[in-house]
Amino acid sequence: MKPFEYIAVHTIAEACDALAAHGAETRLLAGGTDLLIELRRGSKKAPRVVLDISGVAEMAGIAESGAHITLGPLTTHAELARSELLREFAPLLGEAAAAIGSPQIRARGTVGGNIMNAAACADTVPPLIALGATVALQSKAGCRELALADLFVKPYQTRANADELLTAVRFPKPGPGARSAFIKLGRRNALAISRLSVAAMLELGKDGRITEARIVPGAAFPTWQRVTEAERLLLGEMPGEPLFASAGRKVSEEMIKATGRRWSTEYKEPGYLRHHQWPAAHAHSPRQHEPARPPAGPPGPLGHQVRL
Amino acid sequence: MNLLDLLRDRLGLSGTKCGCEIGECGACTVLLDGEPVNSCLVLAPQIAGRQVLTVEGLAPEGGLHPLQESFLDHDAAHCGFCTPGMLLSAKALLDWNPRPTEGEIRRAISGNLCRCTGYQQIVAAIEKASAS
Repeated sequence: MKPFEYIAVHTIAEACDALAAHGAETRLLAGGTDLLIELRRGSKKAPRVVLDISGVAEMAGIAESGAHITLGPLTTHAELARSELLREFAPLLGEAAAAIGSPQIRARGTVGGNIMNAAACADTVPPLIALGATVALQSKAGCRELALADLFVKPYQTRANADELLTAVRFPKPGPGARSAFIKLGRRNALAISRLSVAAMLELGKDGRITEARIVPGAAFPTWQRVTEAERLLLGEMPGEPLFASAGRKVSEEMIKATGRRWSTEYKEPGYLRHHQWPAAHAHSPRQHEPARPPAGPPGPLGHQVRL
Repeated sequence: MNLLDLLRDRLGLSGTKCGCEIGECGACTVLLDGEPVNSCLVLAPQIAGRQVLTVEGLAPEGGLHPLQESFLDHDAAHCGFCTPGMLLSAKALLDWNPRPTEGEIRRAISGNLCRCTGYQQIVAAIEKASAS
């Protein structure tokens, strides 16, 4: 570990002051599950300052306010996985969090870190984009809010400035007609980095037809994006297997259009076809489906995972 | 300095093992405020004001913890390198969920690698400890 200056802060204001002073040479420390590995590796870009924000109480926890759910960026994956509120309003996010790493990683890793590290395999990002999440970025100069989908430039690079701090992640509560699913393809069940994933949300009208569709693949495109071409196929239709198969095929086609045929296309292309039943098979209407067991403790349940 | 080095090198608590140092193997698992964490991924000052339980603190003075007794009875420790971490992951599970299913036990130790036992004895030991 190369030597660095360690600064711990306890409020957003203190964090913004420190970022204003040292932003460009600073790395933020929250759960540390990525940063500690980087610090140990001692890369050339080793930070001069490590700013520990893990004690900023106002950035922790999950809150419900009116029509929105707000996640403090310091909320851990374990907390997401066992949250009753998410089980009710955003089960796909809790399931995605439950499938990250191991119990030890989930106890430390945070949703803010998952977003800001911006790895293409970040499992909380596709569900959050499908939920229509926005992020609040705070600096000494003020606060701006942007759509999560607009935050990313490319893998490991966001549009946040060096003096900006992610202070909140917000999404509207889905309506009673909402159905959602998250599916991940990993090499094994534990400690598996997503090779491919998909988050899907559907809104059904009173007649059962699909009125809104959001499909967000993970680890498929250079950055996360909704696949509007596939979503369009679903609008106005009744949910069903042949329909989802055609949407899955469209997702595969769009992925290949964006990335070309790569070594991984061999399994990623059929990946979206084989699991074409995703939104239907795993449709989750929380008001109809009560969880079978009370929420577990720290070692949360595994989400929907599919092994290669 | 990470928590692992603080425990082993500064405090002389060598029960916590140093394996991969990248959060993959679970040999360095300790409980931080009751939750299992990889001590190699915790920066030492982050534990200020918090409670850390290592394997040294598991057993009462002069005795063994029920999980340790059960590991002995089931031959769940072979080379022993993963054992401290396994014990702490198992303790965290039983503290939250005193009657886990086999699947829940396997998920709870999914962040702890064992290259000797094939896990069967470990799962059996935890199952027995939870029943007693």
